[in-house]
Amino acid sequence: MFSYILRRVLQMIPTLAGVILLIFFLFKWFGGDPADIMVGLSATKSQIASIRTQLGLDRPVLEQLWIFVQQIFTFNWGKSWATNEAISDIFATRLPVTLTVMIPILILEVVLSIVAGMAVAYVRGSLADRTVMLISTVALSISFLVYIVVGQYVFAFLLGWFPVQGWSDSLWKNLTTYAPLPVFLAVLVSLAPGTRLYRSFFLDELGHDYVRTARAKGVSENAILFKHVLRNAMIPILTNVATQLPGVFIGSFLIEAFFSMPGLGREVLTAVNRSDYPVIQAVTVYLAALTMVINLVTDVLYKFVDPRVVLK
Amino acid sequence: MSLDVLHDLPQSPGVWASAWKRLRNNRVGMVSLAITLVFIAMVVLAQLGLLAKDWQKEVGTAFAPPHFVGRIVDGSQTAVVEGAQGPAVDISDIDPLAPRYQEWAERAAQFKTAAAEKSETLPLGGDQLGRDVLSKVIKGAQVSITVGLLAALFATIIGTVLGAIGGYFGGKVGDFLEWVYNVFTSIPYILLMFSVAAVLKSGPLAKVFTSGVWTVIIILSVVGWTGIYRLVRAEYIKHRTREYVRAAEAIGASHASRMFTHILPNISHVVLVQLSLHVVSFIKAEVILSFLGLGVPLDMVSWGTMLTEAQAELVQGKWWQLLAATAFMATFVTAFALLTDALRDALDPKLR
Amino acid sequence: MTNLISVQNLEVSFRMSKTVTAQAVKGVSFDIPANSTVALVGESGSGKSVTAMSIVRLLPENAILGANSKILYDGRDLLHASVEDMRALRGRDISVVFQEPMSSLNPVFTVGEQIAEVLRIHMNLNPRQALDRALELMTEVGIPNPKERLKSYPHELSGGQQQRVMIAMAIACEPKLLIADEPTTALDVTVQRQITDLIAKLQQRKKMSVLFISHDLGLVGEISDQVIVMRHGLVRETGDVETIFNAPKDTYTRALIACRPNLDTRPRRLPVIDDFVNGRPIETEQRVTVSASGEPLVTVQGLRKEYRFKKGLFGHSVFPAVQNADFTLHKGRTLGVVGESGSGKTTIGMMLTRLTDATTGSILFEGKDLATLSADQMRPYRSRIQIIFQNPYASLNPRFTIAQILMEPMRIHGIGKDEDDRARMALSLLEKVGLPRDAFGKYPHEFSGGQRQRIAIARCLSMKPEIIVCDESVSALDVSVQATVLNLLLDLQEEFGLSYVFISHDLAVVKYMADDMLVMSKGEIVERGLAEDIYHNPQHPYTKQLLQAIPRGLTGRVEAAQAE
Repeated sequence: MFSYILRRVLQMIPTLAGVILLIFFLFKWFGGDPADIMVGLSATKSQIASIRTQLGLDRPVLEQLWIFVQQIFTFNWGKSWATNEAISDIFATRLPVTLTVMIPILILEVVLSIVAGMAVAYVRGSLADRTVMLISTVALSISFLVYIVVGQYVFAFLLGWFPVQGWSDSLWKNLTTYAPLPVFLAVLVSLAPGTRLYRSFFLDELGHDYVRTARAKGVSENAILFKHVLRNAMIPILTNVATQLPGVFIGSFLIEAFFSMPGLGREVLTAVNRSDYPVIQAVTVYLAALTMVINLVTDVLYKFVDPRVVLK
Repeated sequence: MSLDVLHDLPQSPGVWASAWKRLRNNRVGMVSLAITLVFIAMVVLAQLGLLAKDWQKEVGTAFAPPHFVGRIVDGSQTAVVEGAQGPAVDISDIDPLAPRYQEWAERAAQFKTAAAEKSETLPLGGDQLGRDVLSKVIKGAQVSITVGLLAALFATIIGTVLGAIGGYFGGKVGDFLEWVYNVFTSIPYILLMFSVAAVLKSGPLAKVFTSGVWTVIIILSVVGWTGIYRLVRAEYIKHRTREYVRAAEAIGASHASRMFTHILPNISHVVLVQLSLHVVSFIKAEVILSFLGLGVPLDMVSWGTMLTEAQAELVQGKWWQLLAATAFMATFVTAFALLTDALRDALDPKLR
Repeated sequence: MTNLISVQNLEVSFRMSKTVTAQAVKGVSFDIPANSTVALVGESGSGKSVTAMSIVRLLPENAILGANSKILYDGRDLLHASVEDMRALRGRDISVVFQEPMSSLNPVFTVGEQIAEVLRIHMNLNPRQALDRALELMTEVGIPNPKERLKSYPHELSGGQQQRVMIAMAIACEPKLLIADEPTTALDVTVQRQITDLIAKLQQRKKMSVLFISHDLGLVGEISDQVIVMRHGLVRETGDVETIFNAPKDTYTRALIACRPNLDTRPRRLPVIDDFVNGRPIETEQRVTVSASGEPLVTVQGLRKEYRFKKGLFGHSVFPAVQNADFTLHKGRTLGVVGESGSGKTTIGMMLTRLTDATTGSILFEGKDLATLSADQMRPYRSRIQIIFQNPYASLNPRFTIAQILMEPMRIHGIGKDEDDRARMALSLLEKVGLPRDAFGKYPHEFSGGQRQRIAIARCLSMKPEIIVCDESVSALDVSVQATVLNLLLDLQEEFGLSYVFISHDLAVVKYMADDMLVMSKGEIVERGLAEDIYHNPQHPYTKQLLQAIPRGLTGRVEAAQAE
């Protein structure tokens, strides 16, 4: 196990290097001159000069690359070009906000999709099954934007059940007052694709030979679905959850923008609009690294979910 | 093959002919196909300028309601400005320009200006500038569907070629492509989109791609090829050890022949379904891109721009642009999605 | 003897689409007595599995039962029993053992849990008691180290052990009837023998009835009391085992018994069903083979294939699939290569045709070492050494027409003046392998397994090869179809002077086809020589074990009884 993890970490290095190089050169060659950008952001001359020295803009490319790499590994990105806030502070304050909303969404989404997927798989082929599938197809054809806009208008503006926007400093208040509407809308949107996907997982498993053996043993249909099939379906479900995990950290910038939540997603959106390079670069590189770690953890978790897996 | 020998021998229908026959029996599939074709016809006509050409013209009053809602009688909605009260005072003795008014009025009369009558209601309503929502939504269909189709086509080509090479050869080439794939997929897709957009907008490539639509298409293709790559690569890995490919090797067929003459036709149905799925997801992605300001330029209209405008309009109680764009998009996307499902069923190789 | 189960007028069809139904069982009636073994024999498509699954109502969702069909058990009609009643019955009164043990076991639960499950459902045992009983059962079915194996997962067991687990699950609640659906077909010959013996022993000990479904008459002859022969959804003949084997009445039954290559004779042609149907006499003239004179066509020396796996952080482990193979092939003769799965026999065929590259060793053909040639240098030789694969459903490109399949090799090797010429040659090839002209524009899926193998043979012939490797080429075919393909291969060998490398696990078939033989085990050639000598006078213990495992039908049963 240990040697497997070590080998995987070694394999991550070229990928991380690739990301670092890509981001560095992308911004170097295709981005504008930082000085011009900062002038646009009404920075003072001395600030611009200090940025130039900090980034080594008068030095050879390789030195600049080295500075970039150092920044990554020491978590020292200096300050945002626009707000002058320390970037590490930005991470520290915005990330919890994002997580407060995204983690409930992920949990609810997975649980509801499992339930809905199993229910539909149970009645497969019936009118109920086909109706649900049709409704989910139509629901999928409407943009997330529309759900948010209409949801916000109807539930907050018209009916006044929830505040239209806002955020507070107390975790409890956030979870009970400000998060519910965005969480509800996001989970609603995810129900359609989730049900379809999980239904296909369950139907796939139901077609396998071991289900026939279970029936031959006299196992009830309920036990087949809840015990045999669900346990096997955990494998593709784990894969699916793992692909969504990195998204939990970046957050939904749509939700954060519309509901005025000071999270990481909205931060990135603002940074892009202002060409605030350090913020964008930092978020990109760290999230890329996080994604790789999540992949590794998932692969190790497979061993517990699927006994056939051999880590080599 | 038009050989004399074949003329008197029966020719069996191939995969596509059989699939078409099966599709014909699927009622839902045929209805979806019909709806899709109607939209495609709309797109072509709009592209040729035969439909919705003058979508930019402000033919209605601001926020003109749809026909079926009727005029809004209280003037507050249509920005009617009350005229000044009181009698007109003659100031021509102190007005320095007064002597020339006559001359100018005669000159002006030579030009015909058509002061367009601004309608109070439009078929599907009007937006803030009084533009006809029906024209906008048709023109928007053209832009959104074209973007979706082209982006899906490019993403599919990139993903299929890379997936074929990576899956078939494996080894160092396969590892390299896997590294590229890992780098692309480690970066959150929104950030990747932003980065590509930044590259295209402000870098040296900005001069090349002046038309805004191509920026969107490139962003979507560059970010979206990874899913198809993954699938095609898995298919090639599965097929390259199959006996018919081994048999091809045994008779001496070249690598290129094995990859594209032998294997590709056997997975073309997978690729087609992926293409369709990506058309749908790219049309939806364009909406998000437009919201982010990375979409089509301001002088064009798409379903995305309409929905972005609609967001501000809704709080003022104006819902018709939102409804029109959502309804049109939902109809097309649903029909296309159902068509894809029907196509997938019709192509089901289980019967082979 | 009372009848345990009485199947009356069973009709089963499947709904293929809104308008099309296909009938699989067309009116089948038979009885299963208590405490006896009944064999249900037939080829693929005969409806034997569907019939057996109907007894426990384990049919697919699109199955339609006939209105007058009845299956009587214990005074009830099982076809009209409630779902609850059926569930109580399955696993307790009637249980099933399926063909593919690997996929039939749930991969995420331990085998102990899976055996315990059936005990908990029907015998009301608590988890602790169920596991203890499961341990007893595992010992009874002969699984080594049962205590540790209780906690193993299915993929950690061999095919034979997995099947034993399935059997343990099936006998756990002391059923009255055990349905065994081709339980040994997916297993190696030596393991087959063990499992069949186990089932026979359990039947006697528990005094239960066994419904044994198989396509292998030899197997059936050894253990069954009664035999039911099915074809195309109908029963052709029923009777006790001696009558069926010694005095079969139905032509199909007679054909089935006769088509199987006999271990003692080598007629010029094997009889086929067609012969019986049309009343043609069986060929008795023995085959004459070309003698092994002069220089061999191919000389193989020191051939070795290793696979390397990553181990630990930087290490490698090496798995030798083939170790030091030496043999020769003479013109016009057939070299048989026999062994079980994992013996390396297929790898040898792959190396000869350069579909796999050998790690070391030489393959000398006309003075050139084929193992060292580059891909380009190898190409001209490819037309001369060809291969026919095992799976007729996978070796033809589903998207190519037969015309394309046959003409592609000609195009590659520049055979024929132009397309028309090639088309004409392809048509004559079709004729040669016994297929109609109008197959030309069709697709592989329109043909049966046997026909597809003929197309594969035609494809090889299009290049006028000298050597053909037959890699389990008839193993996936029904017995009667096997016979036709083997006859075709022999005819072609005689006409064109072909040399064959005939790889198979089926000893009876290899005995019939091969002149010289190699016996392989775990990558090594353990015995070699003339086929006749090896069969009558085996030297190596493995060879002896292999020969003993061959099902011999009724004679085997007689011998076994005499031995006791």
